Order: sequence, then C-alpha cells, then structure tokens
Amino acid sequence: MLEALLEGLLLVLQWKPFAFMLAGIGIGFWVGLLPGIGGATTLALMLPFIYNMQPVEAFAFLLGMHSVVATTGDVTSILFGVPGEATTAAIILDGHAMAKKGEAGRALGAALASSLVGALIGAAALALAIPIVRPLVLTFGSPELFMLAIVGLAFIASLSAQGARGMVRGFLAGGLGLFLAMVGQDPQAGVARFTLDTLYLWQGLDLVPVLVGLFAIPEIIDLVVRGTSIAGNVPAGRISRGALEGVKDVFRHWWLTVRCALIGTFVGITPGLGGAVAQWMAYGHATQSARSPEERSRFGQGDVRGVLGPGAACNSKEGGALIPTIAFGVPGSTSMAILLGGFFLLGLVPGPDMLTKHLPVTFSLVWTIVLANIITVGACFLLLNRLTALTAVPGHLLVPVILVLVFIGSYTSNSSYADILVTLVFGAVGYFMVLAGWPRAPLVLGLVLGKIAENYLYISVARYEAAWLTRPVVLLLLAIAIGVILYPAFQAWRSRTRKAAHA
Amino acid sequence: MHNRASLGLAIVIMVLAGWGTLSALAWPLKAKLFPLVIGIPLFCLAAAEALWTLFGRRGERQAASDFQLSTDQAPEVARRRTLVAAAWTVGFFVLIVLLGFQIAVPVLVFAYLKLQGKEGWIFAIVFTAAVWGFFYGLFDLLLHLPFPPGVLLEWLG
Repeated sequence: MLEALLEGLLLVLQWKPFAFMLAGIGIGFWVGLLPGIGGATTLALMLPFIYNMQPVEAFAFLLGMHSVVATTGDVTSILFGVPGEATTAAIILDGHAMAKKGEAGRALGAALASSLVGALIGAAALALAIPIVRPLVLTFGSPELFMLAIVGLAFIASLSAQGARGMVRGFLAGGLGLFLAMVGQDPQAGVARFTLDTLYLWQGLDLVPVLVGLFAIPEIIDLVVRGTSIAGNVPAGRISRGALEGVKDVFRHWWLTVRCALIGTFVGITPGLGGAVAQWMAYGHATQSARSPEERSRFGQGDVRGVLGPGAACNSKEGGALIPTIAFGVPGSTSMAILLGGFFLLGLVPGPDMLTKHLPVTFSLVWTIVLANIITVGACFLLLNRLTALTAVPGHLLVPVILVLVFIGSYTSNSSYADILVTLVFGAVGYFMVLAGWPRAPLVLGLVLGKIAENYLYISVARYEAAWLTRPVVLLLLAIAIGVILYPAFQAWRSRTRKAAHA
Repeated sequence: MHNRASLGLAIVIMVLAGWGTLSALAWPLKAKLFPLVIGIPLFCLAAAEALWTLFGRRGERQAASDFQLSTDQAPEVARRRTLVAAAWTVGFFVLIVLLGFQIAVPVLVFAYLKLQGKEGWIFAIVFTAAVWGFFYGLFDLLLHLPFPPGVLLEWLG
C-alpha cells in the first residue's frame, strides 16, 4: 500500500504528467474565476485532448484542472458577489459581505486556506477510504438517500434565518426550490410539468442562470445604489496582513473547518448529491456552530465561519466524489461522470482493478488533488494584492463588466436567450427575497436536491410502499432532521433562560 | 417596504403552489406524487406567512443569514438608483436580443461609462476596447462560443 502511494507520487512528479497538471491548473484557474463557465463543461471540452495521453498524464491534466476550479471560483464569489461556479455560491453570503467591509484579504485568506485543508482532507479520505467505503455506501438505499436530502434541506432552512418567522421563510424558500425543480419533463411518466408550453422548460431550469440571477443581480443593483466601489469607503488595509488573519482563522476554527471538510467528503461520496449540496450543508453546519441566536445573526453580515465552512467542503468533496467513481464506477456528480468517460477513453475500467492492478494510478489521482491545490493556493496568495485591489475599483467601471460576465455566463449554459431571461427573472426574485429578509440559500438547495429527492421518493414508495418509513437509518435521519429543526428553538429558550438567570 | 415584499412573495408562492397542486391532480401517480407532497405544505406555509405579515406585529424584522441591501442612501435616492440599475440590466438584455453579443457588449460598456459614469471620451473608448478585446478573444476566438448576430441584424439581412 505504502509502495503504491509513493509510486503514485513519483508518477505525478515525472516531467510530462507534471507539465500536463500545470496546464490543467492554468485552465482551471481562469475557468474558476469566470462566472458561469462551469468546471464540468470545461472537463467535457478538454476530454478529446486526452486520447494520445498516458492515463497518469490525462488524469493529471483533467483532475488538476477540475480540482482548482472551486478554489478560484471562491475568489470571484468573494470579490464580486457573483458565483464563479455553481459550487461556490454559498461562500458569497459571508465572503462578499466581508469584502464590502474592507476585509476582502481576510476572506480570501480564509477561503484559500480552508480550501487547501478541505482538499487535503478529501484526498486523505480518498486514500484511506477505498478499502472500507464499500459497505457504507451500500447500506444507503433510495429511502435513506431521500431522507439525507431532507436532512440537508432541514439544516439550511432552519438555520439560515432567525426565529420561528425566519424558519417559516426558510422552509418556504426551500419548498419553492423543490417546486421549481419539478419544472420540466418528469422522469417517471414523461409528463411535461409546469413548462408553460415552451420547449426550453422541458429540460427543467438550468442551475447556472438561476444562481447567477439570484446572487449577482441584487449585488449589481446594490452596487449602483451605493455608487461606490465594492469595498465602499472602507479602507482595504494591508491585504497581506488581512490574508494572514484569514489563514489564522482556519486554525482558530480548526475543528469547524475539519468537520465541514468531512461533510463535503461525505456528500461527495454519496452518489447523486453533487458538489452544490456540499457547500450549503457545510454553511448550515457553520451557522449551527453559533452559540446563541445573537451570534447566529452575524452570519450573512461577514462572519468568517461562513467562509471557512463552504470553502473547506467545496474542495474536500472532490476526493470524496472520486471514491465511488473509482471503486464502483458510480459517479457522484456530473463532473465525475465526465471523468468516468475519461477512464473508458483511456481503456481503464473502474472497479476492483483500480484498487489492485492500477493502484499506483489511483494514488496518482490523490497526489494530483494535493499538488494542484497547493500550487493554486500558492499562486492565489501571490496574486492576492492584485485580486483584492479590484474591490477598490469604482462601481461604475465594474458594473458593465460584471453585467457582461453575468449575461455571457448565463447564456453559455444552453446557448439560448431564454437563459438570460431566466437570470433576469431570478434576479428579481433574489432582489425581492433580500428586500423581504428571506434567505436565498434554501431555495438553491431545494432546486439542487429536488430532482434527486423526487427520484428517491418515487423509488422508495414504489419498492417499499409505506414500509420505507420504518427503516432504521431512515428513522435515524428523520430524528436528525427533527433535531435540526428544533435546535434553534432550544437555543433561543436556553439563551432566554440564561438571561433571566443573570437578571 | 420589506413587509410588502414579503407579502408579495408569499402570495406569488401561494398562487404557484395552488396552481401546481391543481394541475398535478390530473397527472398519473408517478408524476403527481412529488408535486402534491411539496405543493400542499408549500401552499399552507405561504398562507401562514401572508397572514403573519398582514396581522402580525408591525415593524417586526428578522434578518436572514444572507446579504443585506445597504441603507446608506436616502430611500428616494435608493429607489431611483434601483430603477436605473434595473433599466440598464433589462436594456442590456434587449440590446443583446436585437444586436447580438458582439455589438451589444461594446455599446453597453461605452454607454454606461459615458452616461452613468460620466467618464471622458478617451478613457471610455480605451476601456470599452479592452473589455471587447477580452470578450472577443476569450469567448469567440478561443472558446468558439456560438453568439448569434441578433434579431435586428438578421431581419436587416
């Protein structure tokens, strides 16, 4: 095992695989920075180039590119409030709020350092979990996977707003997301649901135009209203010092970062949940780490824990997602499905062979994730001053550039004007949600989970009828969901009791 | 203002959930199971939120863990600038549909810099050229993304 681990490292460090990895990192760096151009799309675009490569070179190239997209996507999300990737939207809530307070350097430092920690934990999980993960994944059938989706939604809906009213709004937003996920042709009976008789909606709402509208348009409007730069009149201070503070924040909240990285890894391992879910679950968990309702109210206003959680989860999920892809040929996400295509193009069959005959190649994937993230984080820190200086650029120079990127990012999803229309509609929805004090995170998670949840619910009912509700893991997950919903009420009660005792 | 926005959102969700539930009744079980499971509680929650907004305590505002709109500007200034931002955003979309990305991008950037930013001619031209160069070089030359010419140009032949 150790020999294979070392052999994997030596394979990646050969000049050709290393050069391909650097090329991949270079592409992934810019793809992550540009809003809307997804990592999965770029993986698909790059797939034809690997025909003449050796497996190690091809994976160094593809995985090197893919594993850094989320890291640089965080940079765009924090600096401009526009999701660089669908998987980096959660970090906007607190990261961009910090940038507006003149703490862009600290937010970036925290995001980059937590991303690195997350990536290392994900890679370690991949290395360690391969022999033991099979029984764990196989205990999860459709009922458990459905309940897992419900737990995720309960997490984010109950924790993203204050009090009973806030919880109602959180669940309303989550329910709206689930409802919107039903738009399109239903996968079981083929009925066209809520398509308004348009062909565009038959395939459902694409996540990218929705996300870009929901998050970017309210930010653009606010930037115009303020009439200043992103950081406003707040002096940015010494960026490098701020970044160092962000790195220190990772160690100050070390266990939170580790827990969120583990959440990301677990979501990555679970087939079908995907990376967009990991960040929101981690954000929900970070919110839960607040000890009192007053402390929780700081989330969304620029609490560094809201940056650390999604940052760590987003990168750790890659290592996790590779586990079922390599071990069982079950891709955990779109990107992994494309990567699986790469395996077949190169004549490799995922499964037992990857854990025996091709074990060094498997470990080379682990090392690629580790090295690519170390190199990217290092490069980002070197470019930090230039990147952060963008928050001091006057708003009237940024607005047209951001608008162009938003509209192109949205248009490239399906090369249709309807994508931009969807962005505009969800821009209005996002603006009114912000105006009304409704959380947007549950809507996104509902939209992401909707299709998966429906599929698992239908299979559960068809296969087990009502008996699926009595399965032990389902009951355990149901108890967790109820606990998560009741936890804020318990916290508020405890806070009131303590105050009364002190008075 | 936030109460009116909340009421509006709740009513829109009530209408959507009601319409979704009623539409689903006509579908086979496979297709209607999830819409009914989600639609009915969603309608009830939205109705609760609407009633809460109408009859609950006035001025009660509980912030979400989310981005907050800035409150530095006077309400009338904020309202006017919001409308201006919305007009630019929608205007850009109309420009793209009519003229295509290739022309709409430089037109928007230049117009925004001159009209909104009050920038000088030279700066506006250089900045617009830089943005257009980036757009054209990356998305058109390098990535070969298909950008149609725009309805107006197609119509003019």
